[in-house]
Amino acid sequence: MRRIGGLRVLAAAVLAGVSMTMSGAIAGPDPIRIGVLTVRSGPSKPIGDDILAGIETVVRQRGKLLGRPIELVVEESLFNAQTAVTKATKLVQQDNVAAILGTSTVETLALLSVADRLGVPIVTSNSGSAAITRERCNRWVFRTNPEDLMSVVSLEALIAQTPRLHNAKWFTIGHDYPWARLVAGATKGVKAVQYAGEAFAPLDTSDWAPFIAQAKASGATVVIAPVTLGVPLLQFIQQANEFGLTKDAVLVSPIGLPDWLVDKLGEASTGVISAGSWAAWRTEEQWPVTRGFNEAHYQLHGRVAGMQSLQSASAATVLFDAIEKANATSPEAIVKALETVESETPVGPLKFQAGGREALAPLFLGPYEKLAAPKYGASYAQRPTAVPASLSLPKSAAEYGCRLDGTTAAAK
Amino acid sequence: MAHELNFLFVNIVNGLVYGSFLLLTSLGLSLVFGLGRVVNFAHGAFYALGGYVLISVMRVGAGFWLALAVVPVVLTGIGLALEAGLIRRLRKRPEVDTLLATFGLSAMLVGGIEYLWGTSTTIVKPPLGFEGIVQVLSNDFPIYRFAAAGLSLLMAAGVLAIVQWTPLGLRIRAIADDAEMAEAIGVDRSRLLWQVFGYAAGLAGFAGALGAPIFAVHPEMGLSILIDSFLVVVLGGLGSLKGSTIGAAVVSVTKAVGGAYLADWSTALLFLIVASVLVARPTGIFATGRIA
Repeated sequence: MRRIGGLRVLAAAVLAGVSMTMSGAIAGPDPIRIGVLTVRSGPSKPIGDDILAGIETVVRQRGKLLGRPIELVVEESLFNAQTAVTKATKLVQQDNVAAILGTSTVETLALLSVADRLGVPIVTSNSGSAAITRERCNRWVFRTNPEDLMSVVSLEALIAQTPRLHNAKWFTIGHDYPWARLVAGATKGVKAVQYAGEAFAPLDTSDWAPFIAQAKASGATVVIAPVTLGVPLLQFIQQANEFGLTKDAVLVSPIGLPDWLVDKLGEASTGVISAGSWAAWRTEEQWPVTRGFNEAHYQLHGRVAGMQSLQSASAATVLFDAIEKANATSPEAIVKALETVESETPVGPLKFQAGGREALAPLFLGPYEKLAAPKYGASYAQRPTAVPASLSLPKSAAEYGCRLDGTTAAAK
Repeated sequence: MAHELNFLFVNIVNGLVYGSFLLLTSLGLSLVFGLGRVVNFAHGAFYALGGYVLISVMRVGAGFWLALAVVPVVLTGIGLALEAGLIRRLRKRPEVDTLLATFGLSAMLVGGIEYLWGTSTTIVKPPLGFEGIVQVLSNDFPIYRFAAAGLSLLMAAGVLAIVQWTPLGLRIRAIADDAEMAEAIGVDRSRLLWQVFGYAAGLAGFAGALGAPIFAVHPEMGLSILIDSFLVVVLGGLGSLKGSTIGAAVVSVTKAVGGAYLADWSTALLFLIVASVLVARPTGIFATGRIA
């Protein structure tokens, strides 16, 4: 064994001591850790990419919170309920995050069952299921994106403002799952709609030809498509074009198209009208906060801020404002601040419903079109008209079935 | 009545178009199983790789048809390499070993696709002159779908002809009939399995590339066609090419016509048909224990 001389040991000890002293002097305050739980692989990765990009942009814009740096701890959810619970537990117990952002419907529904145990605020920005803030609402779980039933209400506004949809024959082509049936049912219920029929495809459908054939045979002039966002919706629109359905009928997307999908579809996206996007980057023409965000997003990520980016950024903005308002990072203080915070976000001014957990967020109706000149790398985008939450969410949280007292008993 | 018949016609045609893709993928699966008793779960990944090789070749400036011709050559090469490097080493082990190995291989290939090409979806436009619509009995059909179906059927007919009427086909049938006897009279089984595995990968890749303008290209694109192809092969009889042909028609027309009339029940109907056939004929419609 090699012998280390006494002088060397002494020198090493002195160096170590100096270095420790210096690092203590240089190190700033502890960062505030925020968990981001979203999909990071597989066909839905573009959705997770947008969610993460929106949050990262706000972190860059904000710089610090309460004088402390913000540190994002990103975890892969795989769009899987069990994984979401495991990773959320890890974020809370191991990483000590102050809050969780980034979840979509599957993760949020899973986290609702363990939210009281996790005991940190979860602000979701990509969860459609109305139940999350209605009958299953939980004091820890907030949502900034408009939920499914709000989108359905906006359909009437869309018909009212779009002459092409007056006296039209409507047909629903959707996936065979509850949301699509909800949209079909709501469409049937709209007074101005002549309903020509509906077809629900299995979730693994890649060839939409049989369903397009039904819509064509029905003589439909409007096809509303509650199809899962992502590859299936892209395949559906591509094949609707291929079969000439877009020449015979207008395609209506109940919650709009993600901008990465609009980019892929190009000219084919111009046959689509959104009945209620959760966000639209072109609202920057009316709202300077959106413009500031869009520019920062483009600078950081080199692409246009998509629907999910704008939404996740809004969730992050609301959360950070609440932390500043609370002037603390304890979960209870953040939740309390979230209940009353009013924020200027990239989707507009936001606050949560009194006594509830749903943000009073606008929806954005309107067609997709080719831009006169590309902007932020996008050549096609939605021309949005905002529908305020006062129209799509007119009742109180309690009237929608949200009873926070019942769910908070254990937590209190 | 005329309207109803017309609607049925449209859906049968749509089904047969999809069936032509299914036939290409199931022929490969069936050949590989019939010859080497390999249940190849990586077949769907070969289909996806076909789509990606197509877009890569097109990106360097080649036209669609040239790129399409390159795809089976590249995929056959990949198939040959994987057979020599992995499948061959498991040949004397229980069938479940190759099943698990190909399952893992599939995950690795899809992971490789995501690593090399990313996870996003790519739309491939139909080649020039094939973008429009043609009217058949006053129904609109995309021209490209007909062209792709015709080419698939031609390719499938070629495979069946090779198996039936060429020396290579004779050796394939001999091994499938009685491997030991065939080896005793000088057929190199190992080499034949290597070749067939490669050709099957080439066929799957060709189908993936041909389907790209219809179904788009994304890493998971092989999954749903793999499930349908297994249904075809199980229905027709593992190892039976005739069975695969009939099975592809049954599965695709059931999906299309079932989708049109029963929509959400079409998947249940398909599995009901497959289950009923298996109850009546546990080895599938045409399983004879040989490639025929």
